[in-house]
Amino acid sequence: MIAPLLGDTSFVDATWIMIVKSLLIFIVLLSIVPVVLLVERKLLGRFQQRYGPNRVGPYGALQPLADVGKLLSKQGFRPRGAVPFLYEIAPAISIFAAVITLAILPFGDVQGEVGLYGVDLPIGILYFFAFGAIGFYGLLLGGWASGSKYSFLGAMRSAAQLISYEIAMGLSLLGVVMMAGSLSLVDIVKAQGEIWFIVPQIVGFLIFMVAGFAETNRVPFDLPEADAELVAGYSTEYGGMRFGSYFFAEYMEILIISGIASTMFLGGWMGPGPSWLDPVWMLVKMLAVTAFFIWIRATLPRFRYDQLMSFGWKVLLPIATLNVLATAVLVVAT
Amino acid sequence: MVEVAFFAGAIGAIGGAIAVVALRNPFYSVLALVVHLVFLAGIFLLLRAQFIAAAQIVVYAGAVMVIYVFVAAYVGGIEEPLFDSAPQLRVFGPVLAAALFIEISIAVLGSALIGLGGEGVADVPAGFGTPEAVGRLMLEDFLIAFEAASMLLLVAAVAAIVLAGRKKETGGAG
Repeated sequence: MIAPLLGDTSFVDATWIMIVKSLLIFIVLLSIVPVVLLVERKLLGRFQQRYGPNRVGPYGALQPLADVGKLLSKQGFRPRGAVPFLYEIAPAISIFAAVITLAILPFGDVQGEVGLYGVDLPIGILYFFAFGAIGFYGLLLGGWASGSKYSFLGAMRSAAQLISYEIAMGLSLLGVVMMAGSLSLVDIVKAQGEIWFIVPQIVGFLIFMVAGFAETNRVPFDLPEADAELVAGYSTEYGGMRFGSYFFAEYMEILIISGIASTMFLGGWMGPGPSWLDPVWMLVKMLAVTAFFIWIRATLPRFRYDQLMSFGWKVLLPIATLNVLATAVLVVAT
Repeated sequence: MVEVAFFAGAIGAIGGAIAVVALRNPFYSVLALVVHLVFLAGIFLLLRAQFIAAAQIVVYAGAVMVIYVFVAAYVGGIEEPLFDSAPQLRVFGPVLAAALFIEISIAVLGSALIGLGGEGVADVPAGFGTPEAVGRLMLEDFLIAFEAASMLLLVAAVAAIVLAGRKKETGGAG
């Protein structure tokens, strides 16, 4: 059914397998998000010498459930100055763009009859960038349509930040793409059979992680939602599950950046043990990178805005360009 | 399935394009342009041009339009147009539009309609539209045209920086 849209993929599943796979990926990753939320609050608590949530359920394990219940039962409120349709659709765009990117994360090679990934696209990583670009409109529209200064400034900051760091992010992955000789994420993982790309592409990995922090608006690049200056940035005027959607999309985005980092640099599904363990290895790597996100949040203070801009353009971009140049020379020479 | 996708894409693309010129608020116009570009990317996908579709979203919807939105959000939000269109434009506009329409009509009638008799996506060669195929076309078959275009873009980028820098020196509004 969707085969004509995929063009020349090496492997296309039957339609019903596709549907089952989509549901499975969606459900598993969707249920990981609340766990990540809880782990983040727990870890942050420990980093700051306190317990973190510990009232709802054993060890506070039901806290995310309680939060979602609270958000769902809130009134769907729209401020008077907000633009009606855009205000409502903006969080949906965010969440759509975040979830749709899950389709390309590979959790394993073709095993038996089934490829353990959503789709294996020849454009691979470009798909991730395309929907990253669309997800940005969720933030921007939300900030603009709220009719509030804080929201607007937050959205504008995220716009500027996105332009500045997207280029460095693209260039950081280009080295990996050149070494693997393919854009397809499945081929890139397969190319890491001998050595994970984090070793030859350590510079690319570091740039990707820094840019990833900036793209997901995480500390130390969380200027779009800097609480001390902008209340909560683009999501200031949102409440209830609309705010929940933004929150959810942000964490989904973190999982996706972690997934892309694991795929491109950390050997994806590769790990010791039988091949049915592949998806587990991929998830373990994703969650390890996510834990790194949380660690950084507890460790680093926020950048100043001009520091963020000059770092992106004057440090990150030249290093990324040099990395691509050096990789190209090495790939051609060897 | 393909027909449904085509008409959804076509209606979205044309609707977005009409909205760009019909809407008065520049911010909405820019958003309509984004919608148009996204649906156009869908049409590219149906034509098996995956790389072009992705480039369309990443470059246009992602990079170029972000800057448009940026500017329109700062100066936009106003229902009135920023300035009255000059009287010369009212004459030249329709003339240029008609000329462009005739030009495109000649191109479409002269070449693209040949494809109507073909088998559609079935007779597309293997590997068509993938990054590999596009890369080979750009860097092997049409290298000189590609490099000429990149030089042109470089000159334009440098010129933009020079012009912006000059305005700052004379104490203009920037």
